[in-house]
Amino acid sequence: MLVMFSFSLHAEVSPEAGKTVFKNYCASCHNKNMVSDMTGPALAGLSERWDSEEDLYAWIRNSQAMIFEIGHPRALELWNQYKPSVMTPFPNLTDDEIASTLLYINGVAEGTFGAKLVDVTNGGGSPTEESSNGWLYALLLGILGLLAVLLAKIINNLDVLAAAKEGKDIQQRTVMQSLTSKGVVGFLIFGLVVLAGYTTVTNATNLGRQQGYQPDQPIKFSHETHAGINKIDCQYCHDGARRSKHSVIPAANTCMNCHKAIKVGSEYGTAELTKIYASIGFNPSTDKYMKNYEDISTEEYKEIFSKWIEDQYLVETGLAEIDGEGKNIVRLQWDEIVSSLTNEQKKKVQGPIEWTRVHNLPDHVYFNHAQHVTVGGVACEDCHGAVDKMEVVQQHSPLSMGWCINCHRKTEVKFKENEYYESYSQYHEDLKSGAKDKITVADIGGLECQKCHY
Amino acid sequence: MKDNTSNIWIGGMDLTNDPEFIEISQKEFAEPTNLVEDLGNEEVAASMGGNRRDFLKFLGFGLGAATVAAGCDIPVKRAIPYVVKPDSIVPGVASYYSSTYVSGGESLPILVKTREGRPIKIEGNVSSNITNGGTSARAQASVLSLYDTSRFTTPKIKSSGGWAASNWADIDKAVSAALALAKGVRVVTNTVLSPTAKAAMSEFTDKFGGSVVTYDPVSSAAILDANEQSFGDRVIPNYSFDKADVIVSFGADFLGTWISPVEYAAQWAKGRKIKDIKNPTMSRHIQVESGMSLTGSNADNRIMVRPSEMGAAIAYLANKIVGGVSAPALNADAKTALDKIATELSAARGKSLVVSGSNNVSEQILVNAINNTLGNLGTTVNFTHASLQRQGSEKELTQLVSDINSGNVDVVIFNQCNPVYDFAGAEKLKTALANVKTKVSFAVSNDETTDMCDIIAPTNHSLESWGDVEAKRGQFSIIQPTISNLFDTRQYEQSLLTWAGSENLDTKADQPYFDYVKANWKKTAFASQSKFSSFQSFWDSVLQDGVYEGSGSGSTPSFSGNVSSAASGISKPSSSEVEIAFYESVTQGNGQFANNPWLLEMPDPITRTSWGNYLAVPVNFDGVRTFVGYNDLVDGDLVDVTIGAKTVRVPVVQQFGQMPGTVSLALGFGREFGLKGDSVGVNVNDVLTVGSDGNTNYYNTNAAITNKVGEEESFSCVQYHHTMGVKAEEKGTGDIINADEAATVFFDYFTGVKGFQGSLTERSIIYNSTIKDLKENVEVLVGKRAHAQHLNAQQIYNGFDDSYEMGHHWGMNVDLNSCTGCGACTIACMSENNVPVVGKREVSRHHEMTWLRIDRYYYGDAKNPNVVYQPMMCQHCDNAPCENVCPVNATNHSTEGLNQMTYNRCIGTRYCANNCPYKVRRFNWLDYTTADLFPANQPSLAGEEVPYGADNLTRMVLNPDVTVRARGVIEKCSFCVQRLQSGKLTAKIEGRRLRDNDVSSACMTACPTGAITFGDLNNKKGELVKKNTSPLSYLVLEEVNVRPSVTYTMKVNNRDTSFDA
Repeated sequence: MLVMFSFSLHAEVSPEAGKTVFKNYCASCHNKNMVSDMTGPALAGLSERWDSEEDLYAWIRNSQAMIFEIGHPRALELWNQYKPSVMTPFPNLTDDEIASTLLYINGVAEGTFGAKLVDVTNGGGSPTEESSNGWLYALLLGILGLLAVLLAKIINNLDVLAAAKEGKDIQQRTVMQSLTSKGVVGFLIFGLVVLAGYTTVTNATNLGRQQGYQPDQPIKFSHETHAGINKIDCQYCHDGARRSKHSVIPAANTCMNCHKAIKVGSEYGTAELTKIYASIGFNPSTDKYMKNYEDISTEEYKEIFSKWIEDQYLVETGLAEIDGEGKNIVRLQWDEIVSSLTNEQKKKVQGPIEWTRVHNLPDHVYFNHAQHVTVGGVACEDCHGAVDKMEVVQQHSPLSMGWCINCHRKTEVKFKENEYYESYSQYHEDLKSGAKDKITVADIGGLECQKCHY
Repeated sequence: MKDNTSNIWIGGMDLTNDPEFIEISQKEFAEPTNLVEDLGNEEVAASMGGNRRDFLKFLGFGLGAATVAAGCDIPVKRAIPYVVKPDSIVPGVASYYSSTYVSGGESLPILVKTREGRPIKIEGNVSSNITNGGTSARAQASVLSLYDTSRFTTPKIKSSGGWAASNWADIDKAVSAALALAKGVRVVTNTVLSPTAKAAMSEFTDKFGGSVVTYDPVSSAAILDANEQSFGDRVIPNYSFDKADVIVSFGADFLGTWISPVEYAAQWAKGRKIKDIKNPTMSRHIQVESGMSLTGSNADNRIMVRPSEMGAAIAYLANKIVGGVSAPALNADAKTALDKIATELSAARGKSLVVSGSNNVSEQILVNAINNTLGNLGTTVNFTHASLQRQGSEKELTQLVSDINSGNVDVVIFNQCNPVYDFAGAEKLKTALANVKTKVSFAVSNDETTDMCDIIAPTNHSLESWGDVEAKRGQFSIIQPTISNLFDTRQYEQSLLTWAGSENLDTKADQPYFDYVKANWKKTAFASQSKFSSFQSFWDSVLQDGVYEGSGSGSTPSFSGNVSSAASGISKPSSSEVEIAFYESVTQGNGQFANNPWLLEMPDPITRTSWGNYLAVPVNFDGVRTFVGYNDLVDGDLVDVTIGAKTVRVPVVQQFGQMPGTVSLALGFGREFGLKGDSVGVNVNDVLTVGSDGNTNYYNTNAAITNKVGEEESFSCVQYHHTMGVKAEEKGTGDIINADEAATVFFDYFTGVKGFQGSLTERSIIYNSTIKDLKENVEVLVGKRAHAQHLNAQQIYNGFDDSYEMGHHWGMNVDLNSCTGCGACTIACMSENNVPVVGKREVSRHHEMTWLRIDRYYYGDAKNPNVVYQPMMCQHCDNAPCENVCPVNATNHSTEGLNQMTYNRCIGTRYCANNCPYKVRRFNWLDYTTADLFPANQPSLAGEEVPYGADNLTRMVLNPDVTVRARGVIEKCSFCVQRLQSGKLTAKIEGRRLRDNDVSSACMTACPTGAITFGDLNNKKGELVKKNTSPLSYLVLEEVNVRPSVTYTMKVNNRDTSFDA
């Protein structure tokens, strides 16, 4: 804890930074949960297994040197365990980056990355504070309850006294009688109805909303690889966003702009990219598009792509002839291609890839990407979140009407830059005179029904 | 002070303060007896009769269904991108292609709006010199017929068991075999406007020694014959209605159906515009006819003659102007009027125009003689750019019948025509056809003629076709496909060329006929121009513009007709008790549009009836109180009409302006294979007679009408629906009050307060004037407006007026003087806004959903009234009475002056509709869009099996930018807010101010006469503000202080009241 604290004072060292490094460099071999092995060993308790921090840093930067040149005992131990695999060297990682990563690894392993670290950034406030509040509330509620009971009792007593004075004999109610009285039961039922109503309305409002929706896609397309690591602009593929209401799911031929050359993926090899080739009728072995590919029989198609997968397997493994495992891989990959690209309506592998739509708006909502992207200058990630860090895309925003409206209330219009807004003469004067400091979307009618519903 | 608001009426019931009608008009909604009754499913209806147990059952089901629906996972939706995205398509962005709407001799250059590759809307092409961007209701509706479920999906061959689906190879083999052995080959077609198709046809006929038989569903053969005899040129002249100061039309419905109505309406409207209020001028338009046509309703004066007197009337005028013509007897009123017209015409030499819709050659020769004497040849009647829009003659069909009967014809090919239905000699043709060995049809969907054929080689819809059109000599337009073939169809031109084994058709090409069209253009138009050096750039430019202007050959010929022999050939007046006139309806043509629900539901502009043809009978004032129909018939009565040998049972509609002793009935209904055509009207083509010149007469003097024999079950006439400002006599006092404000008057009784909110009885719905009294009437109008504005200023609620100092404030101007009532805007509105079709029964219950209706009011002389058409849509009031009665704020106001309707918030109380003084709000009583989760309450249009619109094919026509409304919500005109938003977005993206032409409503772009102007009231230099400042402009019901955003202009006519005497 102390170590972590001291680290976090250092400007560049933080578990957040570590998370980025881990995702970019380590996550392909080491398990994210830190406690189970993957290609590489589980990283929990990493620092304890190395005697000196220096050796650990050297190991991360160039593990092979540690094994074959220095012969560090811990390095040899690992080599014996994992050979012939070696860890990729990362000579460019700085001390700060490694420290951050270690911080992140420890944080995750101990389950402290997250809540505890927030406390640290908040200045290390007492962790009991939150629960003490709850306790106070409970106490207050108790006192109030007690007071209510006491008051009821007193009123009751007074009633009895008053009745006695008038000469009537009224039996004082027992506690049981009070609890089952009409008032209490009525109150309870009222409370129940309010609660039920509230729950129903809340649930009904959320019907059809799917924030966090993260469906599997027919192709394991990684936005992280494309937008994150390779920094491809969103609008290179989603070319409708600037000029249409739709951002547009790119056609397979857009993929081919790059993947005519990059034919084996960094993560899945031939498994996923071959699906694109099968969809568009590109033969990666000959680098040629097949003529009338839609009419090619499934058997012939299977032959073409199985050969491609097999060839790549041989290149990768360096084998001269396909072995049992290779045959298995070829078979599995082809089956996966067929199941991803076909469904009940679409019997053929050839033809469009049917992606699962992540962002869905109801039919009575009109949304226009061009308005937001081109005119409003809204960045993609404002609504879609950090897609460049999403291995599988998920819906970042609630896409609820309240969410839209709130943004329209806050967002400033590019009022002076765009000549279109000159017709709003009064606002221009207000801006000049200082009566208004900004014009929001709401000011020019952005909250009105028929901006989105028609 | 002239009171021009008091003598305006909708129909007889209105004029006579009929108590039943007043009761209806006091309610916002016609009393719905039982909504679910008779939905076409008797069982459902019976089970929904309703008692407490049923209620509990439905409640339980409802709760259960809601629980199930809530418990279910949200359905997984797919996003399916292109494999290879075409460059020209951006999903979500509309692309427009220039093309041409064609139906026989009708054609209009259009732009086709497509979304994701599917055509959804027709717009006019402003580059056209013929239409200048105008459209017609039929053209607007043609996009729906692309997605007609009754279209042929494959070629078919008849075998013993009926039709069997076939393929093109077999069809080609079968037809080629038949052709190889054939003695005679005929291609029967309506007018073909395409030069390239004609080239293809002649390649075909040359090869087999056959010939082409051309006729038109409604014939104009007499004009062609007459012009051949008079001018040596068998063609329709190029008329210029805009250059004529005096227009006399003998039964030619040139604003509605005659030859080229969109073109003529635009020209006509030009002459009707008042440019200078102080010194107003406008053309005179006199219509001579028996029943009221769309053109007659727009005329200044109508002269009533019996159908058989038409020849006599023409001859009478010819005698007055040309001289030497002996005219048969004619009614005295007509004679007096024609005398005056002769004077007017003679005073406007070279600046007048006489046209006739008569199909008698002699009468047309007399009309030519009149125009010749008046010096109109070369001014209003031209032969440069002469019209090619009618080329057919039914004599060719008669010849075909005799050729077949003499055994000279083995193969007949029908090209999208239906003579077995629309030919006067259909019975003879039918008998003859039985002896023809091979009959082939190119029809798009089944019809009476195709049903008799052995082979169906279905052609493409014109939105799937390549082609060209030469509507007028030298004025071309292009047809280009906007979607690939939906079904296994092939363009008929390609079929003909294939069967002919043409060397010019490369059958292996991707689009063989496209190459053929291009080759033809390279040979003809490209060769005769010098602007472009390469054909490709020439072709690209033509394709982009959609139109091409070549040279319009033809000089003005001299008249060489024989007037005296013509005078003896005219039709002779009959003395029969009743004569019946048959007319082409604006919506249905002669049955070509029987599959199109948009057009079937569109009310006839005059009779205001939909879903069928109704017998228009004359009305007569009984001198005391009421207007009595012929034979005491009232609207909706059924009668048996015996015409010649045939008796048909039709419903009756009382028609003002119908000449006593005559009735009228529309052609084009009772189609057997239309949308359940047997329940939509009756066919009367088979009672048409043929004149001595071989041409069809569109009237019959041998008619008899019974008394009432029953009542029409669903009388779908919208005449009295959604009326406003109806007057009534208050019981007790006998005062004239507003019927729909009876409640207000009752309220007065308690408070003793009278006369607030302006005058109650003089409501400003229509203002009208003759041009002579214009100055006076404008003063009255200005006075009334000032009075209303003064009263309005006293009120305490300010509305939203202050909110529009900046940004936009949308508004509209409707020029009642230009509006002809053609209805193009109403169909454009349905197409743009996914307005549902509700069917005959629902229309009869006042449930039509049209956002934009055209109210037809009569005014003036009850015996021979004038008509004003008023397009009425949501007025987007700035002090809207609908907004403050909504309990859930589903309708409210925007800062841009729009009265917003939010469907997803509406709970269907209908308070807003109840409170709307313009009656423009529509309620979804049933599931008209078939969009509900549970299929129930879906009405049938005319007894079809699958509810209309429930199939995915028809749904392709929906505009994806507009919500499809569910049952139980109110909807109304939105000023095409989706188009406003898209126009604004374009301006924003381009970083510039909004221009006038960025935004337009669908009705505005559809209008052939420019009667509707839409725009931003805050754009002080714009067209809209300019028009609104005219002293003729007024707000409808200004006195009720709702502050509408739609401005109308006073209707001005040029009536000569001395005719009325």
